Amino acid sequence: MRTLRLNISLIGILVLTVFQVHAQDTIPIPLKIKIGIDVLGPATYYSDKNVLNTEAYISVDLDESKAVMVSVGSSNYKFSQYNYSYMSSGNFIRFGMDFNLLKPDKSQGKYWFGLGLRYGLSSFNSEVPFFEKTGYWGTITSSIPSRKKLAQFVEISPGVRTEIFKNFSMGWSIGMRLLVSSGSSKDVRPIYLPGFGNASKVITAGLNYFLVWNIPFKTKNVIMKKPAPEEPEDNTEGNKENTGTTDGSIIRQ
Amino acid sequence: MRKVVPRSLISVLSGLIIILFSCVQGSCFDETESYLKASLYSNSFSKVVAPDSLSLYGLNRDSIIYNKTAEVTLALIPLNDTAQTSTFVIKIDGITDTIEFRYSSYPHLISKECGYTYYHHLDSDPIFTKHIISEVIIDNATVTNLKIENITIKY
Repeated sequence: MRTLRLNISLIGILVLTVFQVHAQDTIPIPLKIKIGIDVLGPATYYSDKNVLNTEAYISVDLDESKAVMVSVGSSNYKFSQYNYSYMSSGNFIRFGMDFNLLKPDKSQGKYWFGLGLRYGLSSFNSEVPFFEKTGYWGTITSSIPSRKKLAQFVEISPGVRTEIFKNFSMGWSIGMRLLVSSGSSKDVRPIYLPGFGNASKVITAGLNYFLVWNIPFKTKNVIMKKPAPEEPEDNTEGNKENTGTTDGSIIRQ
Repeated sequence: MRKVVPRSLISVLSGLIIILFSCVQGSCFDETESYLKASLYSNSFSKVVAPDSLSLYGLNRDSIIYNKTAEVTLALIPLNDTAQTSTFVIKIDGITDTIEFRYSSYPHLISKECGYTYYHHLDSDPIFTKHIISEVIIDNATVTNLKIENITIKY
C-alpha cells in the first residue's frame, strides 16, 4: 500500500514537471563566430590625414548573452602646432568579454545591444621632432627622439549590432577608456596612444563602426519562462468584503 | 511594448557619452614657464615681507625681470633652459647681491594644447654674495610651472 502511494506521488510530480515544461518557450539561438572590421578609422582618414586607425576583431559566443573577443589594430598619428610637432605609431590589442543585454526572445541571435569590457595593450613609438620655447633667455628649439613604449588601458564599450542580411551585421561601439599606464615618465608622456586615443587625458572616448561577418557554429535552445498569468481581479461586492479560506475561516480585508 | 533595456542604463550611458565627447577645443590656459619661485623672508620682521623695492636681472642680460618693484613677496626667477647654471643680480632695498643656481633641465609636456616646457632640478645649494642676503634655503628642488615655492631668500 505504501509503495502504491509512493508511485502515485512520483507520477504526480512527473505530470506536474511535464506541464511546467509545456509552460515555457524554447528559442533556438545560433551561437556564432563574428569577424568584424572597423570602417570609421579609414573613413576618418579622408577628412583628417593626421590620424589613421585600422582595427579588426573576432569574437566567439559562449552562450546567448556572452562572448569572448579579441581585437587588433594599428595607428598612425601626427600633430603639429606653432610650438611643437608630435608623431606616434604602433599596434594595439584588446581582449575581453561582450555582454548582450537583450533577452533571447528580443535578440533572436540577430540583434545585439550591450556592453563590452576589455583590457588593452598598446605598443608604440613616440617622437617629438621639434618643440620651441620662448622665455627670458630667448627662444630655444629642441626635440625628443623616438622611443618604443608599452601602454595599458581598460575599456567599457557599449554598442549596437544589427543583422542586416543573413550572417552579416553592422553596428557601432563607443569605447570609454581609462589609461592605466602610458609606459612613459610623467614628464614626456605620449599625446596619442594607438587603441586608446588622446593620451593627454586619463579618460577618453573613441567611436568604431563595424561591418561583421557571422559564422554560426552551434544552436543553443534557450528556455524562456512565460510570465506568470496575472490573477483576475474579482470585483464582486461580497468577495471584496470577505475572502474564504480552505479551513472555512474568513479574512476581512 | 515591454521594456527591453532599463531606462536608467540608457540615461547613464547617454550622459557618459555626452561628457566624453564634449571637448574644449585647443587653447592653452596653463602657465608655460617654469619659474624658480623664491619667497623673500625678512630677518628684521621674522616673516615673509615684501622689500620696499626689488630689482632682478640675469647677469650680462639687458632685459630686467623686476625693476624697483614693490610688494613682491614671491619672486619668479626664470632659469636658462639651455645652461646648467644661471646667475642673477638681485637688488633688495637698494643693496645688490648676486646669486647663482646650479641645476639640470628636462623637457615636460604641459598639455596637448600648450606643448612642452622645461622643468629643472636644483642640484646643489645656490651660491650668493652676502651684502643683504643672509641665507638661501631650498624648500623644493624641483622647479615646475606649478605654484610651488622652491627657495626662501632671507635678507
